[in-house]
Amino acid sequence: MEKRKRNDRKLKDGILQGLIYLSAILTVTVLAVIIGFILYKGLPGINFDFLTRQWDDRTTFVNVERKAALTEKNDAAYVASLGITLALDNENIVISHIDKDSPVKAALNMKNQAYVLKKKDIITKAGDVKIEKMTAEEAAAVLNEGMGVVRIKIIRPGGGIVPMLVSTIYIILLSLIIAAPVGISSAIFLNEYAKRGRILRLIRFAIQNLAGIPSIIYGLFGMLVFVQIFKMQYSVLAGSLTLSIMLLPTIISTTEEALREIPPAYREASFGLGSTKLQTIRRIILPGALPGILVAIILSIGRIVGESAALIWTAGTVAQIPGALVGSEAGAATLTTKMYWLIKESADLSTASSIAVVLLVLIIVLNIASKLITRVFLTKKGMN
Amino acid sequence: MSDIIKFSVSDLNLFYGNFQALKNINMKIAKEKITAFIGPSGCGKSTFIKTVNRMNDLIEGVRITGEITMDGVDIYKDMDAISLRTRVGMVFQQPNPFPMSIYDNVAYGPRIHGIRKKNVLDEIVEKSLRQAAIWDEVKDKLKKSALAVSGGQQQRICIARTLAIEPEVILMDEPTSALDPISTLKIEDLATELKQFYTIIIVTHNMQQAGRISDKTAFFLNGEVIEYGETEQIFNKPRNKKTEDYITGRFG
Ligand SMILES: Nc1ncnc2c1ncn2[C@@H]1O[C@H](COP(=O)(O)OP(=O)(O)OP(=O)(O)O)[C@@H](O)[C@H]1O
Ligand SMILES: [Mg+2]
Repeated sequence: MEKRKRNDRKLKDGILQGLIYLSAILTVTVLAVIIGFILYKGLPGINFDFLTRQWDDRTTFVNVERKAALTEKNDAAYVASLGITLALDNENIVISHIDKDSPVKAALNMKNQAYVLKKKDIITKAGDVKIEKMTAEEAAAVLNEGMGVVRIKIIRPGGGIVPMLVSTIYIILLSLIIAAPVGISSAIFLNEYAKRGRILRLIRFAIQNLAGIPSIIYGLFGMLVFVQIFKMQYSVLAGSLTLSIMLLPTIISTTEEALREIPPAYREASFGLGSTKLQTIRRIILPGALPGILVAIILSIGRIVGESAALIWTAGTVAQIPGALVGSEAGAATLTTKMYWLIKESADLSTASSIAVVLLVLIIVLNIASKLITRVFLTKKGMN
Repeated sequence: MSDIIKFSVSDLNLFYGNFQALKNINMKIAKEKITAFIGPSGCGKSTFIKTVNRMNDLIEGVRITGEITMDGVDIYKDMDAISLRTRVGMVFQQPNPFPMSIYDNVAYGPRIHGIRKKNVLDEIVEKSLRQAAIWDEVKDKLKKSALAVSGGQQQRICIARTLAIEPEVILMDEPTSALDPISTLKIEDLATELKQFYTIIIVTHNMQQAGRISDKTAFFLNGEVIEYGETEQIFNKPRNKKTEDYITGRFG
């Protein structure tokens, strides 16, 4: 009897353990497959141009003052008066080399602002002459003709994610500038000033529930209130305000947790020395809660970077470096919203995957940073 | 020689919500003497000592009636808690240095009261640590964390931190209960040393300690002062039967 029971139990234990192993392996495999697939699709598209270029091709007219003293080169594709070498690339005439003293480095656009020409810029027109469909040598000959100022039409090729990177950073900074002070102050108020009672419990309950609302509802709210009622249009500010509201509950509760961990003995000691509440907060409580607050901020950055639903209807999906906080110039697609747009509008899976790789790297860096911060502060605390 | 009165307590009652923790206390506390409070756990010693620097103000739901005066001034009606606490310093049961350097701990009080000059702070820090009889042990590690020294040293750093605000009165709530015998003796010596300049009120569970260092002793029971007088008299010729029982260990 006894023995059979024991065997039964052994069998059950074995099955359970097997199941645990199986699900662990399954989880790890799924994760590996997802990341592997994204890397496989996305990595080939990642290169220097992808990380440093604008998203759209940009056409610009520039004026360049040609040199008088010419350095000749034994190369028919070299434009001596401009100090550049041309090449044919995909049926386009592109700049393939720029001399150190080349006047194209002092090129001015039509608003008389500096617009320095770069390698790989495409030249389509010199003065009134169209130089499309020429060879590099023919184009060089056209450009070499004449003296003084020449007007050149160039196309700077896009295909890069710079606008999204910049917009993402703008939105991170703006959201945190709004949400962090408000969230931290609220946490301090709730923890240090508010009288315990029904109202406080109600506020805490509300905050906990706000944290659980799906982000798309924040997006809808942001569109109705900021974009429409406040007439901000799709803009960095509308997006950041929406995200700030979304982040507040997390920042408040994480900060409150950090505040609660500060030993009451520190407060007593500080008050016992005749400090006011504000002095105690500034010198004892805030420094003590700093690691927790930093972790809250890093978690928030992670959420901003990964957010799409709350931003699509508030910051829009235009790939541009926002030129204003609100209005038609202020639309700002982040990396994540651009991914969404790419798949929806053009089914461009490989570019979307390349952006995904950049996002993955960002998130990993953030996670490591938050681990490091916690560890540094933990070892400091370990002194006692 | 009659004592100069530092504190005068009349008809003091204290309630935590509905619970009355102090009942009708009347007491005069002498200047530049050591007054000890003894009594069983939960009798209200800590509660009473905290009324003297108004630390009870920080607890929600506390109600106080009666009067405490310091040098004739009502500390609840005619003084604000902040300036009271700079004149009445406190040392707690558990050493509670801040998680910062020894120097910053001692300089904390002077800094919040507006002293910024480095040489002035240096002077205050050294003087306070010397007064607290710990200068020689820590002078080479002032920049080290105050949490990285022994409990006894931490407690003396806390005393130095209190001395640095130059109070007139020092309240000590069982300052040696978390310490070893040698550290305890050091702090007792320190207290007798300090009473030349400071009025000291000390709560203790340790009968010998009260006997060794205090001039006056008050015996608390259930929120009431049962007996209060010269320490000698309380320990040798207690008038009240309960005091005698408690002191001889026959209590409860
Ligand atoms: N914050 C509080 N809220 C409610 N009741 C309290 C509070 N603090 C103390 N009390 C009660 O008041 C009474 C006196 O407490 P107090 O801490 O003053 O005693 P004590 O004499 O210092 O005891 P011990 O020797 O254990 O430190 C106790 O019954 C205690 O339970
Ligand atoms: Mg006590």
